[in-house]
Amino acid sequence: MYKKFIFLIFSMFLVLSLVACGNNNSATEKAGEMQLKNDSETLIVAISADMGTLDPGVSMDNLAWKITYPTYERLVEYDGSSTKVIPGLAKEWEVSEDGLTWTFYLEEGHKFADGSEVNADAVKFTFDRISALEKGPSETYGVIEEVKVIDPYTVKFTLKNPFPPFISTLAANYGGIVNPKVMEKEENGDKAQNYLSSHTAGSGPYQLAEWKKGQYIKLTVNPHVTVQPSFKNIYFKLVADVSGARLQLEKGEIDIAEGIPVDQIVELKGKENITIIQEPSLFVDYIYVNSTKGNAALKNPKVRQALSYAVDYSAMTDQVMQGFATQMKGPVPKGLWGHDESLHQYNYDPAKAKSLLQEAGVNNLELTLLYADRFPNWEQEAIIAQANLAEVGVDVKLNKVAYATMREMLDKGEFDLAMGVWSPDFGDPYMFMNYWFDSENHGLAGNRAFYVNSEVDRLIRQAASINDQAEREKLYKEAQKIVVEEAPYIYLYQKDFILPMSSKIKGFVYNPMLEGIYNLAEMSK
Amino acid sequence: MKRIIVKRLSLLVLVLFGVTLITFVMSHVIPGDPARMMVGQRASEETLQKVREDLGLDQPVWAQYLLYIRGLLSGDLGTSIRTQQPVISDLAAFFPATLELALYAFIIALLIGIPLGVISAVKQNTILDHIGRVFSIGGVSIPVFWSGIVAIIIFYAQLGWLPASGRLSIGLEINRTITGLYTIDSLLTGNWKIFKDSLWHLILPAITLSYVQLATITRQVRASMLEVLNQEYIRTARANGIEEWYLIIFYGLRNALKPTVTVVGLSFGSLLGGAVVTETIFAWPGMGKYVVDSIAFLDFPSIMGFTLIIAIGYVIINLIVDLLYMVLDPQVRE
Repeated sequence: MYKKFIFLIFSMFLVLSLVACGNNNSATEKAGEMQLKNDSETLIVAISADMGTLDPGVSMDNLAWKITYPTYERLVEYDGSSTKVIPGLAKEWEVSEDGLTWTFYLEEGHKFADGSEVNADAVKFTFDRISALEKGPSETYGVIEEVKVIDPYTVKFTLKNPFPPFISTLAANYGGIVNPKVMEKEENGDKAQNYLSSHTAGSGPYQLAEWKKGQYIKLTVNPHVTVQPSFKNIYFKLVADVSGARLQLEKGEIDIAEGIPVDQIVELKGKENITIIQEPSLFVDYIYVNSTKGNAALKNPKVRQALSYAVDYSAMTDQVMQGFATQMKGPVPKGLWGHDESLHQYNYDPAKAKSLLQEAGVNNLELTLLYADRFPNWEQEAIIAQANLAEVGVDVKLNKVAYATMREMLDKGEFDLAMGVWSPDFGDPYMFMNYWFDSENHGLAGNRAFYVNSEVDRLIRQAASINDQAEREKLYKEAQKIVVEEAPYIYLYQKDFILPMSSKIKGFVYNPMLEGIYNLAEMSK
Repeated sequence: MKRIIVKRLSLLVLVLFGVTLITFVMSHVIPGDPARMMVGQRASEETLQKVREDLGLDQPVWAQYLLYIRGLLSGDLGTSIRTQQPVISDLAAFFPATLELALYAFIIALLIGIPLGVISAVKQNTILDHIGRVFSIGGVSIPVFWSGIVAIIIFYAQLGWLPASGRLSIGLEINRTITGLYTIDSLLTGNWKIFKDSLWHLILPAITLSYVQLATITRQVRASMLEVLNQEYIRTARANGIEEWYLIIFYGLRNALKPTVTVVGLSFGSLLGGAVVTETIFAWPGMGKYVVDSIAFLDFPSIMGFTLIIAIGYVIINLIVDLLYMVLDPQVRE
């Protein structure tokens, strides 16, 4: 009986494989109409999670930006791999003496996918819409007082107060100019939010052609683009399991695999048909030391310094990140202007940590360390930190909660220590200094250490109000000296950006401001 | 019979009411703020407040619940916070994939599980029985994320026989949706190419998913069969010279199936609700992945919608199980 059963299974497989052969034959006959070939005009990228809304006026999720960035154009764009901006839709611009008026002169000839022209009205529409929607992006552009159309190709922004990083914010995803015609799709006064959540209406080189929820997103070329890109069809294919994505990459079924953890990257290294992109990113990993709302001992800068000396940084970068990371030096990461290479860098020195604790008169310190399952490396880092701190006599209780719960607790300051990550939205040290240290940004807003220092407040606020970049840099460097000394954060490391792709892919340029976003129009294979 | 169906269906309303109440309360008492997830971590209090008002999150929980129930009665499951689409259309997009996968897994589990259980019982303590038992212990103890990956490595990466992810090859398109089950739709429209391709994509995930239930069913059938085969009426029947295979199937299996039906029914329910891991490994675009993403985003409306669908599924399956009982056991029919 059992033999029969085995035989049955076997014959089932046989029949099925025969069916498969038949399938292949018929597939080649009708190949032209349906079957996809991963040819030189097609790019397939495996992504690990599906996106939420694609509306550039709503989305704060950089997963969605993979789609929106190449489908819209902005007034200015990041220049290749640098964090400086260059002309985009605007061929040039000028700023008034007081820093309040910004005038942009648009280049003629840019067209939306429906053929209508990108003009000053579209620019005004985009920014008025963002402000009316009052979603996340309105926050960044809250500084805009008014957008005025001067003539079809000239548009003037008036700001409420001088805001030098304004130009950088225009290169960010939510600066994408939207075709005013989407208002024809408006439902119940939603300003076409529902429509734009799953459609694109921009002038970028690509347009969203199809979105099979949970399966793939397909982009095709904007018919009115002036320079024809090499890839005609782009697929972002959802492969949630990273091992699956890796295998598909090795077999050449896909061209790029996102989200592969470092332990599997190591396995991919040295494979002939695979190139691994490795560049320093502006994504930083650090620990918040609750300086005012946590354990009272943490109010003492000496105790915070002790913590900074107690942590074994190389264990974090070499063991947890397997060498795909660089220890931070101060809050502004390497690669962004404002970074100060001459700053003091904490090293692993348990003896010094102990003596600092003694100086502060702190014994038997007990702290909680908050983290969530959001990033797998957090747990390893939390355990290392716990062991490191135990060495200097600090008892750390690990507190692992759901990510949403963690955010709630961070906002209220209900923790002593917490794991954190940060990456900038626009290429300006403002993204680090003003968010992390301004005493008005306590909680999730950015100052998660609940740090207060009036001198730092003064320096960074001044730096955020003047236009002279050299002067700003000086102020930020001065402020950095203080916040490194006072150690409200344990500055762990800058993560490396790692992306395995097929060796056939050419022309990919990594920009630290556009992590996970592809310069699709310049790529080929 | 009709009376029982009507009675059960009216109970359904009560059960669903309870389910909505519990899910709603649970998803609202855990800390976390979907408005915050939506506006991004750096938004100000005013923006946050505005979005909370838009979502109705500024109202007391009971008022939110009443609003939700009112919507539900008119067939409105609300709008997903994450995708900004009506939950009903999101679920409609994902549910058929889960159902199709669960159905095939279920069929495989039945087709293999029942015969295997019978063989094990009839050949008790022989080598066949031992192999069958080891096989089924494997099913209940090997986690799906492991067996799934191993299946992919063997059949996709090494042998290259079967696809590793998705429901159809990219670029293939199903032109008409009737049931949402690709294999059935393609058969109905006579599109053989799609039928083969979708069947091809189903093999690995369906077998992986079925393994756990298959093992449970095998063990259950074996245990009940052993019990039944030792009954006196079997001995009598055998003494009367009834052929062995006839005896096993119509005298033994028929009676052994009664306790099995309950297990089988529940196993289909857990196939529906528990396909999450399998769906993730095989990039199967079903509800599992959708609901996991929704939970991470605290997207209440989607979580509620998912729970409701699964609850309805369970209630219907229980009803079917009870009806099957009546078919199998005349005593219950009274």
